[in-house]
Amino acid sequence: MIRLINVSKTYPNGVRALRDITLRIKKGEFLFLVGPSGAGKSTLIRLLFREEKPTYGHLLISGKNINRLRKSQIPILRRNMGVVFQDFKLLEDRTAFENVSFAMEVLEYSRKEINERVPHILKLVGLEDRQDYYPTQLSGGEQQRVAIARAIVNRPMILVADEPTGNLDPDTSKGIYDLLMDINRGGTTVIMATHEWDLVNRTSLRVVALDKGQLVRDGEKVLFAHEG
Amino acid sequence: MPMKVRTTGYFFRQAFKSILRNFWMSVASVATVAICLFILGSFTLLIANTNYIAHKVESDVEIAVFTMVDATEKEVESVGERLEGIDHVSSIEFISKEKGLQQLNKKFGKEHDLLKALDGNNPLPDYYLVKAKEPDKVPVIVQETEAMPYVEKVNYGQGIVEPLFKIANWIRVGGAVTVILLAVCTVFLIAVTVRLTIFARRREINIMKFVGATNWFIRWPFFIEGLFLGLMGSAAACLVLYFSYNFLADKIILTFAFLPILKDAAVIKRMSLIVLGGGPLVGALGSMLSVHRFLQV
Ligand SMILES: Nc1ncnc2c1ncn2[C@@H]1O[C@H](COP(=O)(O)OP(=O)(O)OP(=O)(O)O)[C@@H](O)[C@H]1O
Ligand SMILES: [Mg+2]
Repeated sequence: MIRLINVSKTYPNGVRALRDITLRIKKGEFLFLVGPSGAGKSTLIRLLFREEKPTYGHLLISGKNINRLRKSQIPILRRNMGVVFQDFKLLEDRTAFENVSFAMEVLEYSRKEINERVPHILKLVGLEDRQDYYPTQLSGGEQQRVAIARAIVNRPMILVADEPTGNLDPDTSKGIYDLLMDINRGGTTVIMATHEWDLVNRTSLRVVALDKGQLVRDGEKVLFAHEG
Repeated sequence: MPMKVRTTGYFFRQAFKSILRNFWMSVASVATVAICLFILGSFTLLIANTNYIAHKVESDVEIAVFTMVDATEKEVESVGERLEGIDHVSSIEFISKEKGLQQLNKKFGKEHDLLKALDGNNPLPDYYLVKAKEPDKVPVIVQETEAMPYVEKVNYGQGIVEPLFKIANWIRVGGAVTVILLAVCTVFLIAVTVRLTIFARRREINIMKFVGATNWFIRWPFFIEGLFLGLMGSAAACLVLYFSYNFLADKIILTFAFLPILKDAAVIKRMSLIVLGGGPLVGALGSMLSVHRFLQV
C-alpha cells in the first residue's frame, strides 16, 4: 500500500530531516511512528500527503509514485487519505456538524449525502449529542474527535495522524487511541506519530522509530543502537 | 471544467461573503475600477469625437488648384484635363479670374468695385476647386496636383485638419498612458482586496487543501470576487458616462451649433463595451495575481 524506498528529505535550509528511509506499510496495518522531538516524524507524515516532496528516493502509495504526481493529481491523493493534527485545525466559527460537513461540501457532495453521512460519522466518534457545539464549547478530546470525523468522512483508505494526542491528558489520549483502533478495524490503514512511549510500549502493534532522521527500529527489530 | 449548479452557488456565496467581510476595501476597489474606467470611457468618447470632427471638416475640404497667373487659356485647360484624370476626385469646378473677382466683390459689398480700384488689372489666377471622394485621399490628390505643370500652388484645409488630427493623436496617447497607469493601480487594489480575503480565509483554505478539494474549487470564489468587483466598477462607470455624455452632448449641440458631435448609439455602445469589458478584465487580473502569489495551489 505504502512504500518508501531510500527516501531522504533535506529542507531548503539544509536540515536533513529524513535519511535513507526504506519502509513498507501494508494495507489495513496500524503503525506507530515514534522518536524524539526533531526525529522527522512530522516530515514523514507531510511526505505522505504530499505537503512536501522527498529530496531523494521514491514514495509509492497504492502503486503510484508520489514524486511524479502532477499538481492536479494531489487532490485525488488527499481524498483517499485522512489527516489529523495535534492542533485539531477546526474552524472556530462552525459547529461540530459544520466542521465535518465542510470537508464534504468542498468535495462537492450533495446536501442529501451530507445530511445522511455527517450524523452517522459523528455518532461513530461518539459525538452524536455534540453536533451543534462550537469548538470552544468542546473539550480537547472532543475537538480531536471532530477532527477525526472530518478526516474519515470521505472513507479514506489511509488515515495519518501527527501526534493526535499531543495536547491531551493520558485518559483522553487513550480514548482517541481506541477510536483510531476502531477505525483501523474497519479496514483503514492508520499511521500515528506519537511521543507517548508508554502507549507504544504496551502495544504489540508495529512500531517504527526514527532518530535524527534515521530509521532506528521497525517492529521488534532494533536496527541501530537506540541513543535516545 | 464541468461545474455543478450547487457548487456554483457555493462559489458565489463564498465570494459575496468575502466582499461583505472586506466591505470598505471592496467599496474602494469598485470605486477605483469605476474611476479608471470612467476615464477610459471619456477618452474613448473624446477620441471618437475629435476624429469625427476632423473627418467632417476634412470631407468638406476643397482643394484649390491655382494655375500660374501668366498661363495661357490652353495651358489652364490642360490643367483641368489632367485633374479629371486623377483618381478619387469627385468633382471639379473651374473658377475663372473674372468669376473670382466677382466673388471677391460680393464679399466686400456692392459699393466696392475692386476692378476699378485695381486699374482694370485682374491680379487673380484662374483656379480649380477639386473635391475628394474620401477625406483621406486629400493628401494624395494634393501631391499629384502639385507636380503638374502650370500649377502655381495648391491650397487645402491643412490649417484646420492637421491640427485636429494631431490633437486626436495626443488625446489618444495621453489617454492610453493615463488608462494604463490607472489600470495597473486598479489591478493592484483588487489584488490587495482578494489577498485580504485569502488571508481571512487561510485556515479554511488550508483545510480545503488537505481534505482534497481541487485547486480550481479553491480558486473560483476568489476569481468570482475579483470579477464581481470589476464588474460593479464597470457598471457604475458605464452608467455615469452614459448620462453625463448625453447631457454634455446636448449642451454642446445647443451652445456650439457648428461643432459636430457624435450622438449615435453605435459610439455609445462601443464605449460601453470597452468599459464593461475592462472591469472584469482588471478584476480577473487582480485576483489572478493574488491567487497565484498567496494561494499556492
Ligand atoms: N519546514 C521546515 N523547514 C526547515 N526545517 C524543518 C521544517 N520542518 C521541520 N524542519 C526540521 O526538520 C527536523 C525534523 O522535524 P520534524 O518536524 O519532522 O520532527 P518531529 O519528529 O515531528 O518532531 P516533534 O516530535 O517535535 O514534532 C527538525 O530538525 C526540524 O527543525
Ligand atoms: Mg512533529
